[in-house]
Amino acid sequence: MSLMSLDNVRFGYGSFPTLERVSLDVLPGELVAVAGPNGAAKTTLLKLMLGLLKPWEGDVRIASRGKAGKRLVVGYVPQQLAAFNSAFPSTVLEFVRSGRHAGGAWFRRLREEDRAATELALRQVGMWEQRGRRIGVLSGGQKQRICIARALAMEPDLLALDEPTAGMDPESRAGFYALMREETKTRGRAIVMVTHELNEAYPYADRVVVLERLENGGMRCCTTTSCSGHFAPALS
Amino acid sequence: MLHYDFMQRAFCAGALLALAASSLGVYLMLRRQALMADMLSHVSLAGIAGGAYLHVNPTVAGFVVAIAGAVAVEYVRRAYRTFSEISVAIIMVGGLSSAVILMSLAGNVNKSFSSYLFGSLVAVNRTELTLMLGVAALAAVFFLVCRRALYQMTFDEETAQTSGVPVRWLSLAFSVVTGMVVAAAMPIVGVLLVSALIILPAALAIRIASGFTAALVLAMLFGLTGVWSGLAASFALSTPPGGTIALILLVFLVVGIAARKLATMLGKRRTSVREASEQPPLNEARYSNPSLSTHESGGS
Repeated sequence: MSLMSLDNVRFGYGSFPTLERVSLDVLPGELVAVAGPNGAAKTTLLKLMLGLLKPWEGDVRIASRGKAGKRLVVGYVPQQLAAFNSAFPSTVLEFVRSGRHAGGAWFRRLREEDRAATELALRQVGMWEQRGRRIGVLSGGQKQRICIARALAMEPDLLALDEPTAGMDPESRAGFYALMREETKTRGRAIVMVTHELNEAYPYADRVVVLERLENGGMRCCTTTSCSGHFAPALS
Repeated sequence: MLHYDFMQRAFCAGALLALAASSLGVYLMLRRQALMADMLSHVSLAGIAGGAYLHVNPTVAGFVVAIAGAVAVEYVRRAYRTFSEISVAIIMVGGLSSAVILMSLAGNVNKSFSSYLFGSLVAVNRTELTLMLGVAALAAVFFLVCRRALYQMTFDEETAQTSGVPVRWLSLAFSVVTGMVVAAAMPIVGVLLVSALIILPAALAIRIASGFTAALVLAMLFGLTGVWSGLAASFALSTPPGGTIALILLVFLVVGIAARKLATMLGKRRTSVREASEQPPLNEARYSNPSLSTHESGGS
């Protein structure tokens, strides 16, 4: 059962269509990399998937239930999220812990499992030691890490990441891709990741979605390539 | 001072509003809507003038129009999504121009108008105190119940929406609560200075607080201290309470920022002295997976 599906979706800004005939399914436990040149509507595609934009035509379906019949939890890290207001008065721990209140759980008190999930997420991105610091004083790369940690702390069924490795050095990027791969294979999360470093992401992805420019009037279509079998999982 | 009934009412109403307005200010500032309180106070001025013209209770009319203005600003904000401050400018122009015209039509409002503009200790009657009590209680319930969702929405609306926060409704409810607090605060601090009560305590708290909860608590503390000391000074010096409270809050802000700068400078000096005497440890954070690799424990 797919967690999210686009069926023959058409979308544009103003009267100019930017996405044409896009069909895509995202299944639990798979890592989908979305690639394409600048302005190819990769972010638009991600927002359509998440229901943040309404398509002109076609259907976007997002499952209402995730694992064990619980409400579907969606984690999203937008492209500019790490460029947040540096005056925002919040500690790293407060910020990442806020992910535990996703999926309508704003009223319940935090339990031991929430604290454990927060700690695990912060350790996964190497920011546990920084948990008491104000988020505004962190470097750009550290801000990016805590945004990802917050999404991981949600224990999402579907994780959407928009250029999550921007500003990371090659070693950190490799560690990040390995972590994402591990999240899909051991925890069954579906991850959709917009990336510019396709060569680096390719070995870890189950599928690559490439947005291509059409010849007739700058419209774009979507092609999907299966990566399964090309590379052994990097962490196996 | 406190044996006067009107001073008891002013202190009671001021405390309630200080707590509600200061916590509201933290969210308004972080949502980059600091001018919204100012705008809504000008809109409510149109309500007061309209109420006087139509022979309806001006306070109630101002209250209703402020809420309507808050709803309107929310819709205009959505139309100008990337320039949310434009919605403030548009509604403020509408409110202020309507107020000027209605004031000229309602000749009887001019006498008591200065009490609405600058605030008055004697302006708080029992009806207004009851209204403030209701508004403060509603705001307290709203901020307590929705605090986690508000945190997410304040940080980023899109991620809040994908996390399941009903951003559209929550934002609308937030605007309505803002309108209610602004309208209820007018009898004490006046239309012109209502934003001082909302923004100044929050501005200081955001600068010095270590975390979000701390910022809310500090903002309420500064607001309460500023309002009570302002009311006392206003009574002692026979000055308008709105201006006195605003001036005291401004002094708090300046002194607080200066103290913060001093503390930062002293902290930097201590750090450089320590660094000169010892080699700093390398702390390279990398992505890691505790299930795959042994990771050193980082404390509790």
